[in-house]
Amino acid sequence: MPKLTIDGKEIEVPAGTNLIEAARRLGIEIPHYCYHPGLSIAGQCRLCMVDIEKTPRPTIACNTPATDGMIVHTQTDRVKETRRSIMEFHLINHPLDCPVCDQAGECWLQIYYMQHGLYDPRMKDEKVHKPKAVPLGPHVMLDAERCILCSRCVRFCDEVTQTGELGIFNRGDHSEIGLFPGADLTNKYSGNVVDICPVGALTDRDFRFQVRVWYLDTTKSICPGCARGCNIDVHVNRRRPHHAEGRRVARVKPRFNEDVNRWWMCDEGRYGYGFVDAPTRLVLPVRNDAGETRELSWGGAIAAVVDALGRTPADQTAIIASPKLANEDLFAIKTLAEARGIRQVGFRVPPPEPGYEDDFLIRADKNPNTRGAELMGLDGKVDKILNEATAHRVRSLLVFEHDLFDTGWRESDVRSALEAVDTLIFVGPNGSRTSDRAHLALPASAWVERDGTFTSFEGRVQRFRPALGALGEAIPTWEIVGRILAATGAPVTATRAEHWFRALAAGVPAFAGLTYQSIGDTGAMTAGTAPQAPAEAKA
Amino acid sequence: MSVQSIAFSTGQLAEVRRLQGLYPDKRGALLPVLHMAQDTFGYVSLEVEEYVASLFGLSPAHVHEVVTFYTLYFRQPRGRHVVAVCHNLSCHLAGAPLILAHLKERLGIDVGETTDDGRITLQAVECLCACEAAPMMQVDDRYEMNLTPDKVDRIVEALR
Repeated sequence: MPKLTIDGKEIEVPAGTNLIEAARRLGIEIPHYCYHPGLSIAGQCRLCMVDIEKTPRPTIACNTPATDGMIVHTQTDRVKETRRSIMEFHLINHPLDCPVCDQAGECWLQIYYMQHGLYDPRMKDEKVHKPKAVPLGPHVMLDAERCILCSRCVRFCDEVTQTGELGIFNRGDHSEIGLFPGADLTNKYSGNVVDICPVGALTDRDFRFQVRVWYLDTTKSICPGCARGCNIDVHVNRRRPHHAEGRRVARVKPRFNEDVNRWWMCDEGRYGYGFVDAPTRLVLPVRNDAGETRELSWGGAIAAVVDALGRTPADQTAIIASPKLANEDLFAIKTLAEARGIRQVGFRVPPPEPGYEDDFLIRADKNPNTRGAELMGLDGKVDKILNEATAHRVRSLLVFEHDLFDTGWRESDVRSALEAVDTLIFVGPNGSRTSDRAHLALPASAWVERDGTFTSFEGRVQRFRPALGALGEAIPTWEIVGRILAATGAPVTATRAEHWFRALAAGVPAFAGLTYQSIGDTGAMTAGTAPQAPAEAKA
Repeated sequence: MSVQSIAFSTGQLAEVRRLQGLYPDKRGALLPVLHMAQDTFGYVSLEVEEYVASLFGLSPAHVHEVVTFYTLYFRQPRGRHVVAVCHNLSCHLAGAPLILAHLKERLGIDVGETTDDGRITLQAVECLCACEAAPMMQVDDRYEMNLTPDKVDRIVEALR
């Protein structure tokens, strides 16, 4: 392992480590645009110049592997002057339209100009003009004038998705990023090019002009879009709600996890959070009686549930849980089922059509916690529950989250089953045709409004955290179930999601030994599951 | 030109494979193959770019990068003859603007355009390394040097 000295500090790094990464380990940030740890090295932006003793001139750090005895300086006058000159080059044709640019506030031209530029502009001539506001595909907008030609997006499409849509066309200062004429940037990971674009050239059509980035708050979370469990940051707009017509979740960004999604996430997950602020959100507990809807207090709603459960023998009661629920919710449901002697419990509902899957991140199972529900033994036959309901042998039915009309089942079968039960209780964040038919519909917090954990298909238990307050009267599903349990006389002490997780760790062997602390930010494996190879680019 | 008609002959395909074999990365053969394609199909249309991309297992965007980088690939149909007048420093001082103006007037076209009869495409180009004989121009693969308007007339007259 080579041992080198950077700015007077010694460090030993694995062979092959480049100088940007070696410096990063020492907490020294070498400015760069084109270098990205997830992509090949282009050496294109020339900003990461450092001085290496015994070399005649500054060298790019990204393409220089650390070698034994190397002495590197990142702050010499020559390096600083080089950076300043390169910043001036990068900005020669840049339109400086920061006031109307969506990237402002998280733009590396702005950041590095303040850190390493601060020159007096000498550009007196007309700048080269290029296409602006060009939609490249459903999610990405191009402004070719703002582009500094770092080629990160081109390399992403070549190396990660291997779809090769993007290229750098023409020559000299007329060079511009673009698509082959007539093509679209439609690969299923296209949103990532916006993340890796260091400037305002590629912006997100979904997020554009919604809210300035400095008004956003960030919370660590897990994508609920499929069984992969990509680590994400949820960016919420709490401070300027009027900027985006009340849309609270402004965007979702991938969060680096070496073992799960590295720097990436798919578009399906990235743009799939719309249900959180959708008009379909349930905000109050309601009772539907013969077409008449009445709002209830939580006390009244819980009493009504307990009353229905009390009137129905356990063998005529069934629960359809959901693989979209957190582990904490599922364990509360399991506890409820066991306390009441309810044995007809399932969660697996056939999707309307088979989900898309690839060999990178996207899983066919569009639920974040199927594995958790399986590990807790909740995998009863749901179609049997439906048949029993149709035959009037299930009188009370609790449905969590699912819209049973939007499944692989025939609508008529679902309708006759739901019509046959005496009491249909729905718990979930969003209303649907199922909740419309429910005698009691109880509003649950969405995943971004609460604490919890999902278990990925690999058996990795990962935490998500509340980014927002709950909408209306919604409360977490574990709390709804806990209140039902308490009202039936069961001893319930859990007042936080973490309490339910402790009970889960004590009660289900696969979760034994896990705590919120041990899960941390990157997750922990359930017992008996070894971490699988990290998601690699298709190569 | 329809997509179906864009295909090399068996012999040309063998030549493509030979050229690809000359380089450590077969992409090195992209330039000569694009020239072959231009000579065969007249100009490098988007369809030709896609066809060439398929011969290299590249995405069309990456062939488009190469074609737009270089000036010697024609992306629109060109005339039967290409007249490229140097307008760089030596030729400029020696009277290239006059030569170019004369050609424009005689042919009735601007730089970058092709005569209606498809006979001549006129270009203005940078230095072609014949400053000793300025002003000069390249007609197809041939240098014409020490130009005067009369000499240009005779040269253009001979192009059919």
